[in-house]
Amino acid sequence: MINRQSLLDQEARLAFWMLAPTFIVVMAFVVFPVIWNLWLSLKPVSLGDLRGTSLFEFNLSLVNFQKVFGDPDFVPVLLTTLVYTVGGSFLSIILGLTAALLVHGEFPGRGLLRGLFISPYVAPVVAVTFTWSFILDPQLGVLNWMAVNTGLLTQPIPFLSQRWVELDIMGVSVRLPLALTSVILFEGWRYFPFAFLFILARLQSIPDELYQAASVDGASPFQRFYNITLPQLATVLSTLFLFRFIWTINKFDDIFLLTRGHAGTKVMTIKVYDYAFGEFNIGAGSAVAMVLFAILLLFLFIYFRWIVKET
Amino acid sequence: MSREHLETNIIRILRILGIIFFVIIVAFPFYWMIVSSFKSLEEILLRPANLWLDIKKINFRAYYEVLFEHGFARHISNSAYVSIITVALSVTLATVGGYAVTRLRFRGQAFMSYSILVIYMFPAIVLVIPLYVVFSHMGLRDSMHVLILVYLAQTLPVALYMLRSYFQNLPVEIEYAGLIDGCSRMGVIWRIIIPLSAPALASVALYTFMIAWNEFLFAFMFLDTPEKFTLSRGVVQLAGSVHLSKQLVMAASVMVTVPILVLFLFFERHLVRGLTSGAMKG
Amino acid sequence: MASLTLKAITKRFGKVIAVSRADLEVKDGEFCVLLGPSGCGKSTLLNIIAGLIPQDQGTVLLDGQSVDSLAPRDRDIAMVFQSYALYPHMSVSQNLSFGLRMRGIPKPTIRESVQWVARLLGIEDLLDRKPRELSGGQRQRVAMGRALVRRPRLFLLDEPLSNLDARLRANVRLELKQMHHQIQGTMIYVTHDQVEAMTLGDKVVVMRNGKVHQIGRPEAIYSYPSDTFVATFIGSPEINLYRGMLVRKDGLPHFQGAGFSLNLGRLQIDLKEGEVEVGIRPEDIGTGQAEALDLRAEVEMISYVGSEKYIHARLGGEALTFCAPKDTALQPGNVVHLAIDPGRVHIFHRGRRI
Repeated sequence: MINRQSLLDQEARLAFWMLAPTFIVVMAFVVFPVIWNLWLSLKPVSLGDLRGTSLFEFNLSLVNFQKVFGDPDFVPVLLTTLVYTVGGSFLSIILGLTAALLVHGEFPGRGLLRGLFISPYVAPVVAVTFTWSFILDPQLGVLNWMAVNTGLLTQPIPFLSQRWVELDIMGVSVRLPLALTSVILFEGWRYFPFAFLFILARLQSIPDELYQAASVDGASPFQRFYNITLPQLATVLSTLFLFRFIWTINKFDDIFLLTRGHAGTKVMTIKVYDYAFGEFNIGAGSAVAMVLFAILLLFLFIYFRWIVKET
Repeated sequence: MSREHLETNIIRILRILGIIFFVIIVAFPFYWMIVSSFKSLEEILLRPANLWLDIKKINFRAYYEVLFEHGFARHISNSAYVSIITVALSVTLATVGGYAVTRLRFRGQAFMSYSILVIYMFPAIVLVIPLYVVFSHMGLRDSMHVLILVYLAQTLPVALYMLRSYFQNLPVEIEYAGLIDGCSRMGVIWRIIIPLSAPALASVALYTFMIAWNEFLFAFMFLDTPEKFTLSRGVVQLAGSVHLSKQLVMAASVMVTVPILVLFLFFERHLVRGLTSGAMKG
Repeated sequence: MASLTLKAITKRFGKVIAVSRADLEVKDGEFCVLLGPSGCGKSTLLNIIAGLIPQDQGTVLLDGQSVDSLAPRDRDIAMVFQSYALYPHMSVSQNLSFGLRMRGIPKPTIRESVQWVARLLGIEDLLDRKPRELSGGQRQRVAMGRALVRRPRLFLLDEPLSNLDARLRANVRLELKQMHHQIQGTMIYVTHDQVEAMTLGDKVVVMRNGKVHQIGRPEAIYSYPSDTFVATFIGSPEINLYRGMLVRKDGLPHFQGAGFSLNLGRLQIDLKEGEVEVGIRPEDIGTGQAEALDLRAEVEMISYVGSEKYIHARLGGEALTFCAPKDTALQPGNVVHLAIDPGRVHIFHRGRRI
């Protein structure tokens, strides 16, 4: 009946107008670029082609992907990306967990601590990267100076510009990827607040009765942690890992500003930039971006299969 | 000493040590940033390991230079402009959009509510190149307004999602009462939903501001003329041009950091209070 | 005030049928109660009348005019919600005046109306308070006030008393009835409580699983339930219902239950013979010496409710409850002879009354 339809129609029309701007903006600035990227990766495009119309020609080819996979840099970059992503994610979650456990509970100054702990995450990336660069600087940085002054080191260590460092651990000589480690440590520092907040919220929602029951049953504090706290946190932790993995693998700003990708810290996002704006090869840049995206999808696939298997 | 006793004491000690550790690693960089910004160039070069700040030697020179000789006064206003407009648009669109997705019946409603977050899986770098290409082609590259649109696209999905969750928890009967009393849907949003969603709206505003203010990549890629630089872009420019005058870079960093940190610390207290104080019973 | 007509209203939520072909006529000024257990569709029906949910099929008519294409605010109705749904961020007087303000009524008129309603409900001193500062009973009054102040042509009330404690509920029920008398409004009232339905309604609509089972005055519903559901849903203590066979002995109807037999006298029954269900209300059963019906029951348990006693007994193979005066001497274990007037017996064939 026409009459009844019009009420529902009115609602649908209103919903359309309410969502249209959002829809358009997101379509135009997120969805279409992704599709565009796919397009660009399949065409031999260089920066010079931007003004021309060859952009829209249907001359697709896989030459970009050939270049990318054929590059001797490819495997090292891929490995670096994975090490950085997994290491950074793990570290930020472990630090976040520790911080949450420390702050959990009632004590004065708790709000202040919580506010303090979120600063690394909230502060602008340019500020924190330049500050840390300064602190770690071999010539002017306070860390090196203090280490040398107190005799911890014989000479300053360029944390962000040296690829390897030889370490002597209990008689065994170990070669540590220095710059990469520094960058991973930075990643942990910068993003632990994210894990911290979520874990803290979850901790606070664990009912006290569970702990009380365990105490009555005879569990010590450490036992209570392993048997009650950790299992309750399992979901948060795995979700956090998922999110941090996605966000870290896509990270560009941090490494770009810290090391510019030098000294063994070249991850795939940096490679994209190098191809597109270093070698002016837009097509190759887009191709790397697509490979990165594909790896991400693969990870998601594995992750969700694993989750389904666990439940 | 019983096991419980022993473990509790160990925990207490570990806890104190742990908190000290975290406080140091979190606070020190910021401390250093601020302290260095007040030093003179000689201090930076000659006494890099000086942890303390001599009250008598506090030097505002770095700030002066950065603001007036390196154009940061302009950068600050640019960042403020871009961020505030992004927040205003983002909150408005996310509010009506979030309401539509929660309460209105239309085809594709379920799809929209769940697909929103999928957007976040795409790395920014995947977006940068095509956008760079398109903008160059259309001559739109060096524009703060285009940057605002890009930031909107980044923040709207999460903003919409956050508000949607919040709206779902508002009792629908209050809206029904409004509709029966004579409000249109927009009237319900304006007079009922918004007053009752203050904490959520504040969160969205804060989150959006943080993204827009702190953002580096798109500002770096899309802005060409220094007059249009936002603060993030400006700091990178500065760091690239001075190599030894770290105090300038630190002063610039302080200028970018302080507003957002202050906002967050201030609102965090407010937010917590707003969420716990008598919300909506009956 | 308006008359309301519902024609064949149907509403589905996914696979679930919430309301199925509901027809209803409510006269101008009538107090109509939608009664039924939870999930029977009564609230859905109310929301459809209000225009908050569109129906899948059927029409809603107010004063003979279809309102299907009208938004709630154009239907000139008011609603009181179970949770009251007061605007938390507004004061009581702002809550009351909200609807009037939305319609652009001039300020002096608004002030007058708010005063009138506040006086009527006894909430004048609460006008500047916020909802969270009020007790449940006070909030309920404000919710009522918000509906009354607009003098709409139709009032909808969705279980407005269910959140009040028992004592308060009885008082407010009485006040509601008086108010209805005073303002002569057409009211549609939803409840699961049969006492409310019976005391308040001019007309009761009994619903279950989306279907309307019976519509009628409370007395009619009570004394002539149209099916076994209505018979068991209405009446406390619950009606005694037994399955058995209707047989004819010398042409006269007899009911054969599990272990007992009931002579139905000269009752005119359309059915010759067959499976029936027979219902007898506890208050229609008396005790006495062997009268026309020789039914012997053994008392098992006694419930004392103050004004009387409910005797739970066993009749043949079935349980039976009947009412006795509060000072009765009956004890568990006693054997009583029951007297049942065949005229008070309800007979159901395939669930429906015959």
